[in-house]
Amino acid sequence: MKAGKLRFSKPNKYWVESSQKRYVPHPEDSVLGIVVDSRSDNFLVDIKGPSLAFLPVLAFEGGTRRNIPKFEVGTLIYVRVVKANPGMNPELSCTDATGKGGEFGALKEGFMFECSTGLSRTLLSSPTCPVLEALGKKLSFEIAIGLNGRVWVNSASPSTTIIVSNAIMNSESLSGAQQRIMVEKLLQKIQ
Amino acid sequence: MEQRLANSWRQTVNEKNFIVNALLSELRVDGRRPFDYRKLTIKFGKDDGSSEVQLGHTHVMAIVSGQLLQPYKERPNEGTLAVFTEFSPMADPSFEPGRPTESAVELGRVVDRGLRESRAVDTESLCVLSGKLVWAIRIDIHILDNGGNLVDAANIAALAALLTFRRPECSLGGEDGQQVVVHPPEMRDPIPLIIHHLPIAVTFGFFSNENIMVIDPTHHEEAVMTGRMTATVNANGDVCSIHKPGGEGVNHRVLMHCLKLAHVKAGDITAKIKDAVEIYNTQRALRKIKRHSSSVALDVGGTPAKSGEKQNQVDGSQLPQSKFKDEASSMECDATSSGQEQNNKRDGVSQKFIGGPSSWDPYSECVNPDLLKASLASHGPATQRTQKGSRSETKAEEPPQEMKIDSSPTDAGLAAAQNNEGKTLKDAVKPKNKRKKKKVSSNSGN
Repeated sequence: MKAGKLRFSKPNKYWVESSQKRYVPHPEDSVLGIVVDSRSDNFLVDIKGPSLAFLPVLAFEGGTRRNIPKFEVGTLIYVRVVKANPGMNPELSCTDATGKGGEFGALKEGFMFECSTGLSRTLLSSPTCPVLEALGKKLSFEIAIGLNGRVWVNSASPSTTIIVSNAIMNSESLSGAQQRIMVEKLLQKIQ
Repeated sequence: MEQRLANSWRQTVNEKNFIVNALLSELRVDGRRPFDYRKLTIKFGKDDGSSEVQLGHTHVMAIVSGQLLQPYKERPNEGTLAVFTEFSPMADPSFEPGRPTESAVELGRVVDRGLRESRAVDTESLCVLSGKLVWAIRIDIHILDNGGNLVDAANIAALAALLTFRRPECSLGGEDGQQVVVHPPEMRDPIPLIIHHLPIAVTFGFFSNENIMVIDPTHHEEAVMTGRMTATVNANGDVCSIHKPGGEGVNHRVLMHCLKLAHVKAGDITAKIKDAVEIYNTQRALRKIKRHSSSVALDVGGTPAKSGEKQNQVDGSQLPQSKFKDEASSMECDATSSGQEQNNKRDGVSQKFIGGPSSWDPYSECVNPDLLKASLASHGPATQRTQKGSRSETKAEEPPQEMKIDSSPTDAGLAAAQNNEGKTLKDAVKPKNKRKKKKVSSNSGN
């Protein structure tokens, strides 16, 4: 059992939220993985967990033996965790539960950085996290957040990407108001 | 095997391309310009000669120590300098414990070359007895966190540690001038090394595109770059060493540009190191000043040498220093020595204290039997008691100082310092004595 904050949601749901750099794979999590190797029947993918995960070569929308995607070593992919049992290598998929591809698959260009699992959950929370909201008002960028503590940012100019990634990295321990102030300062420095 | 595969750090193709593209527009991932250094913090430890440097996320520690050894046969009049590196596994998943890897040895060599070839540390002043005994200075560099550019950080740490290191003063004695007496820090202030200049290592990273060059690469940039070069330059503009281990070739114009940049950076970093050392020295001097001003007034010996491990038991101890210094033979040192020369005149209770520092320490020898006899003769049974006994005796004599000594056992000087305060604040202090006595007796009971 890991240490963390006790959270409550009405009427009767309590849970403990912890934040680490390491990720423990859990089914139905959307994560960002790095392809390490490709075998005949699955790709080996690093998802920051205790062991490498397997991504079957057919686990793509309309995937058949004939159109297996070619992922070279070091490709960044957005995947969903299907099975994650302790002691076994987790299994991934590039389709959602119904079989549709959606946004899963390789991410082109952009820049990926690592953060804690707590921060990635905050970034994915709704209503929108303050730092993303503040950045989104002034800059245009696309972002993919993995629950395993990896974030991918892409935008038209490298400077925007750098600003966004640094702002998110700095917002780790800041409260909502502090995040907005930090983003404002950062944007002012640029303009 | 699986664990290692899972734990190793990998870089995505996206990141590689992004770093190179951003550099084309002179932007670096952490927001720096190509020729900017990361934030540099230099801290010092409690002991002389230990420093901790943080350069961005890179964290390095250096410890300098000295030992009396035989010199090399080819250089009988010079001290020696040796650099050892340790890449702690906590710094990076790829660091393994055990034998230093190629990169560890390389780092040690670059730091060593910068210091040795340029003769930054004056080795001739380290000679004690020509051909027989010289000071061997050892620099241990520990890498605590690998955030990129370990060489520069390690070099700064080594320099900062060398600047704050103090070696014990030693003098030649005995009939033929061949006996070496190493004076413990309480008797004679340890003296700093003579350092002529500060060779600063500046590392450059080259990328496949000819025009891209960065200073102080981060860990991620190091994985992308195709060539590196470390230029060790001092603030005067002298090039102490250039280290270019393979990789992308560079044009001579680029090389000259790098050396000029290195000169500018060396100036900045030298200023920062000197400021940090200055602050450390003033703090150190403050501690020293207290000791000297109070030692004149009162009647108590200071604390024994190397009180590090025995802090809680340390007490006033008294040995007639002047008498025995002359009689001290070869390398024996007053292991139980304490106090300054003025203390010689005072009465006090001598105390047998066998220090327990590291095995090669020159003054951890066993006690000189002559000293033992003399102190036994002068102070009777008191000297044979354990610290408890001697403590209670001193308690009787000098309660205020006693208390003060207990409260700051680490620094020899502070003991006397507080004696001074004790004298002036005696009335205010008295009520505290009882408390301290009880504490002390419970301590000594341990």
